[in-house]
Amino acid sequence: MKYKSLAIIWLLALISAIGVASSAPRTRRATEPAVYSSAEADAMRLEGEKRFRANCNRCHAAPHKFPPRMMATIVRHMRVRATITDDDMRYILYYMTQ
Amino acid sequence: MSYFWIKAGLRRWPRVVLPASAGLFLLLCFTPGLAACQSSDGEKAIPILTGTAGYFNFVTAGQNQVDAQINPVLLVPLGDRWLVESRAEFEGAFQRPPDGGSYGGMVSKNLDYLQADYIANTYLTVTMGRFLTPFGIFNERLYPIWIRSLQQDPLILPLSAESSDGMMLRGGFPVNAKVNLNYAAYVSAVSSGHNNLESDRNVGGRMGIFLPGPRVEVGASWQKLLQDERTHSFGFHFAWQPMRFPLNIHSEYARSNQGSGYWIDGAYRLSQVLFWQKALRRLEFAGRAEQFFNGQISSDEAQALGLPAANTREGEFGLNYYLHDGLKAVASYGRQFSSAGNLNLWTVGIAYRFAVPLGRVGSQ
Ligand code: HEC
Repeated sequence: MKYKSLAIIWLLALISAIGVASSAPRTRRATEPAVYSSAEADAMRLEGEKRFRANCNRCHAAPHKFPPRMMATIVRHMRVRATITDDDMRYILYYMTQ
Repeated sequence: MSYFWIKAGLRRWPRVVLPASAGLFLLLCFTPGLAACQSSDGEKAIPILTGTAGYFNFVTAGQNQVDAQINPVLLVPLGDRWLVESRAEFEGAFQRPPDGGSYGGMVSKNLDYLQADYIANTYLTVTMGRFLTPFGIFNERLYPIWIRSLQQDPLILPLSAESSDGMMLRGGFPVNAKVNLNYAAYVSAVSSGHNNLESDRNVGGRMGIFLPGPRVEVGASWQKLLQDERTHSFGFHFAWQPMRFPLNIHSEYARSNQGSGYWIDGAYRLSQVLFWQKALRRLEFAGRAEQFFNGQISSDEAQALGLPAANTREGEFGLNYYLHDGLKAVASYGRQFSSAGNLNLWTVGIAYRFAVPLGRVGSQ
């Protein structure tokens, strides 16, 4: 019985390892500063606001903006907890820190 | 011969295969090529101490209970892809004895979760440690006192373990422009009856489909206990936040051998009324209807689990006033109907969510 749960853990570990291994490297590294033209920045903000409205008051009242580095942690937390998608997270973080 | 090897391997596999696969897993996580694919947080994330503090008066069938609680949440991001997170509950519940005298009670402590999350890629986050069991939506998404629209727990909440100890895979990703899919699959390998660390050995999963346009989510959960009677539980959930009005609807159904039932919650924020806007937009009406049906366990067993001893129906209505972001005053009235007796449930109180940085916050 105990082995069964270990077997499942092992399987999950393996699946996640394969998942991790097959993750394609992104083109832009986070450490590189993102330079947007003002039109691009506006579009990013608009998209961010749209995604914020679609996602951030589904479970609780939509929160106010926090300072950028706090926001980065909060959005990461929500990405995991609320299974917010990668793209949503990026746009929302941009919107919440501008 | 091969039979012997298989048998020996099976016997030894937890000792041999498990560390080997864990090693493989870690190796894959930290391969230099992969380390280059960082998440695109942009801003450097810092540790945060957040959580809730609350003070409530619950009057259940005429018996007053004073409840004071503080539930700190610690968030520690590591690098671009890791998050270590934890929440503890400290709750003092005090009652005056029926024959009068001073309030007495006790403080309970509970570790809700202590987990390390690794955001592997767009599709997958790996969680290890003690985590909130992703069964239905209340436990994982609506439980904190600053979030729930009514402070009473739904009757069916104890049908699944609140916390699990083991490993979980989860994620959310777009299927197309109109549909997002989210999932969680977990195994809880530790069975602990310890008061502050209760958990069962179980395996389960949840899957949800979210439509960002109409803001609708539907989903299903399943769990199998790997101990005792090895029973199955399953449930369905539904959530809807219409775009046009400030209404928030959540609902859940769950069934196991311990019982079954549902709840449906609606919260309407008066942010669109045309008069006294300044005051009224902070006000929210909340209502809940719920029902619980007995399962195949005795009423004593049910009560020990925190479930009603008999078939029960309940209706509740409440008012929430948002004084400030994260701070709300609450008041509610509920009526419970059951063959064990009907009763009134009154609640008044205040719930606060705080968040303080544990590092330099950066500038806007
Ligand atoms: C699926 C439900 C859900 C969604 C969607 C959601 N949250 Fe949360 N959020 C929670 C829960 C649950 C907590 C409390 C975590 C705890 O106490 O363990 C929380 C906590 C928070 C907090 C308090 C600090 C913290 O990280 O715990 C902030 C701020 C927050 N959310 C912001 C957001 C933002 C911004 C979004 C949109 C990207 C969002 N939330 C979307 C469920 C959700």
